[in-house]
Amino acid sequence: MHKMLALIGLGLAVPTAVLAHHGWGSYDAAHPITVAGAIETLKYENPHALITVKAPDKVWTVTLAPTSRMRSRGAPPEFVAVGKVVSAYGYPSTVEKDEMRAERITIDGKTVELR
Amino acid sequence: MLHDAPQFLVALEQSALASAIRQSSWAYMTANVGHILALMVFVSAVVVMDARLLGAFAAAPPASVVRPARRLAALGLVLMAATGSMLFAAEATHVAGNPVFQIKAVLIVLGILNALLAGRLLREALDETHAFEPLPTAAKVCAVLSLTIWFATAACGRLIAYF
Repeated sequence: MHKMLALIGLGLAVPTAVLAHHGWGSYDAAHPITVAGAIETLKYENPHALITVKAPDKVWTVTLAPTSRMRSRGAPPEFVAVGKVVSAYGYPSTVEKDEMRAERITIDGKTVELR
Repeated sequence: MLHDAPQFLVALEQSALASAIRQSSWAYMTANVGHILALMVFVSAVVVMDARLLGAFAAAPPASVVRPARRLAALGLVLMAATGSMLFAAEATHVAGNPVFQIKAVLIVLGILNALLAGRLLREALDETHAFEPLPTAAKVCAVLSLTIWFATAACGRLIAYF
């Protein structure tokens, strides 16, 4: 009986650990990057707000958070308006080229956590 | 948006309805929550129905459990399709190209075919089998297929976000 419970426990724990490791789906959490530059476009939409950022090397698509979370964390559309300079810390996509998902963004000296 | 996505998916994603779902502060969230609530209705009815086909609740005549559970499952499926269509439309090009979504779509078709086939195959057996009497093997096969397909479908649904 104890053995069986232990097996069930293991069965529940292993997939959870695997999923937790991949946390944000198709993003490479092992290699965080910081993308900094002016915001070129903004889509304040669900399921995730999106900005494009003109970094020195290229234009990045930066995936932010659902709009309700953005607002509740203090990042309404005006905060991420086109033309503002943003620094986004996050993880590059393993699927889409030049796309990253932001863990946090800093604009005008204010940092907002997006996870 | 995928650059090589079929035109009808691009049109769907750019439609007024899909834009409204993305731009609303509550529509996408509501569809997402509704999809999970509909899943609860659907899967609970499916489990009761399939458990009876597998021999559980033997004191109840099979038809008295399977038929109402099947109607409830059908309602759940309609609600899932309605909420799922909203989620799909909002991100049509991305989602359609997702390999896990493609597997999920195939599973849904298989699950519905299995349910329709079971409805035909088991109609007489349901009419004629009394409480405590065994159902034909076909009932067990359909039930196992149903549970396998629908649980796999649910797993794929959740896994779309990870691929």
